[in-house]
Amino acid sequence: MSDKLFNSSILTGVQHDISEKTCAEEALQASELRYRRLFESAKDGILILDADSGQIIDVNPFLIEMLGFSKEEFLGKELWQIGLFKDVTASRLAFAELQRRGYIRYENLPLETREGLVRLVEFVSNSYLVGKSRVIQCNVRDITERKRFEQTLQEKNIELGNANLAKNRFLANMSHELRTPLNAIIGFTGTLLMGLPGPLNADQEHQLSLVQISARHLLSLINDLLDLSKVESGKVEVNYEPIVCQGVMEEVAEALRPLAEDKGLEFKIKAPKSGVRIAADRRMLSQILINLSNNAIKFTEKGQVQIQLVTRRSNGQTLASIEVIDTGIGIKVEDQKKLFQEFQQISPDHRNEGTGLGLYLSEKLAILIKGKIEFESEYGKGSTFRLLIPTA
Amino acid sequence: MSARVLVIEDNDSSLELMIYLLKSFGHMPFRARDGEEGIQVARSERPDLILCDMQLPAMDGHEVCRRLKSDPVLRSIPLVALTAYAMVGDREKMLAEGFDGYLSKPVNPEQVKDQVALFLSSRTRIVPQSIRSS
Repeated sequence: MSDKLFNSSILTGVQHDISEKTCAEEALQASELRYRRLFESAKDGILILDADSGQIIDVNPFLIEMLGFSKEEFLGKELWQIGLFKDVTASRLAFAELQRRGYIRYENLPLETREGLVRLVEFVSNSYLVGKSRVIQCNVRDITERKRFEQTLQEKNIELGNANLAKNRFLANMSHELRTPLNAIIGFTGTLLMGLPGPLNADQEHQLSLVQISARHLLSLINDLLDLSKVESGKVEVNYEPIVCQGVMEEVAEALRPLAEDKGLEFKIKAPKSGVRIAADRRMLSQILINLSNNAIKFTEKGQVQIQLVTRRSNGQTLASIEVIDTGIGIKVEDQKKLFQEFQQISPDHRNEGTGLGLYLSEKLAILIKGKIEFESEYGKGSTFRLLIPTA
Repeated sequence: MSARVLVIEDNDSSLELMIYLLKSFGHMPFRARDGEEGIQVARSERPDLILCDMQLPAMDGHEVCRRLKSDPVLRSIPLVALTAYAMVGDREKMLAEGFDGYLSKPVNPEQVKDQVALFLSSRTRIVPQSIRSS
């Protein structure tokens, strides 16, 4: 009985030992299986080297596929024996360093395939202990495609840069051709208005001043093109000067009132009596206001266009707000975000003669003179565009 | 102060405008339709001031400038570039090339009088008396 018990206890103990061992083996097997699966299915090449001899002891299918050598060709050989690395000496040195440091990494390593093709790889090696033996695991990521994309991208970028350069050159040349005839138009209008050839009567003077204003307006449109090419290429000179807003508003109104009246629109100015002063580039400022007012007239069929000046406080600053308010067709909500884009013309059915550059350029100019443009619009009722700029 | 001013310009209307303006302001203008002719007239007339268009057929304004400024006799005559091709940085570029001034087209007739006077006065400052009277 006692024997029995004793035996059974031994048996139990043995049983227990066996099951523990089985568990450990199973766990090991499971871990080995997981590792195998990972090794076999990895989408990176993996090489396992013996750390002392440098011989290849395992290679995964992905690397076999990538480089075209068979598994047998890999196993038992050192890396440079299978022609992976062209420079044998460098490879031996690299291996020595790897043995010493336990880690090595190459960003852009060219490897040769069996067919003699070059694959660019990212090569990372780590050494670690497996039981008592030290091994080196090399992860080999094929970056040939990535490098090719990067190369293509770079080439495309250069192409794009060249195209942009050509565009700017074209705009500059066009602007020159367009401005040349204006020299005579503006010049001789000027000589007549100065009375150099003789005195003018009131009608002649009035009509000639309209010619002059229109010619200058045309010039400013052409300058838009020039400005655009300059702004785009980052070469633009801002000439700050003290400006009384009302003065510029008057000039703009004078230039554009005839256009508004031709369409039967009222063109009004509303501003405080005392001058509101800002520091800005005069030409840029009037260009912005001309662009905004021009648009207002263009998109208004009845009613009025008004340039209004108010001041407002914002973040401890006093801002001049020059607002161009129209009673026109307004802008649909879905069109509003397209508004400030280059060459963007909302409502193509609307016959207008613009370049589609007006708002795009105005916004760029506003930023250059430290201002900004805001707008609100209700479709069918009208729009308000306002230029905000700090007072001096 | 009346001055002898040479205008080198290939565009008919622009040339006529400059000639008319100079006459109106009491100057004596000379005209040339291209760079070659411009240099010839400069040699024969020794003007007090030369206004030169940049975009000329055959020999352009840059070349005219190079030739005038390398001529020991003509180099002292103030040379002003006349161009519609006004890009930022052009002024500095032209001054570096040897031009003494820069007039942007389209010209503003009301300002031409003062600008020409300014170019002429700068000449009095930079050119020794002996050369001027010769």
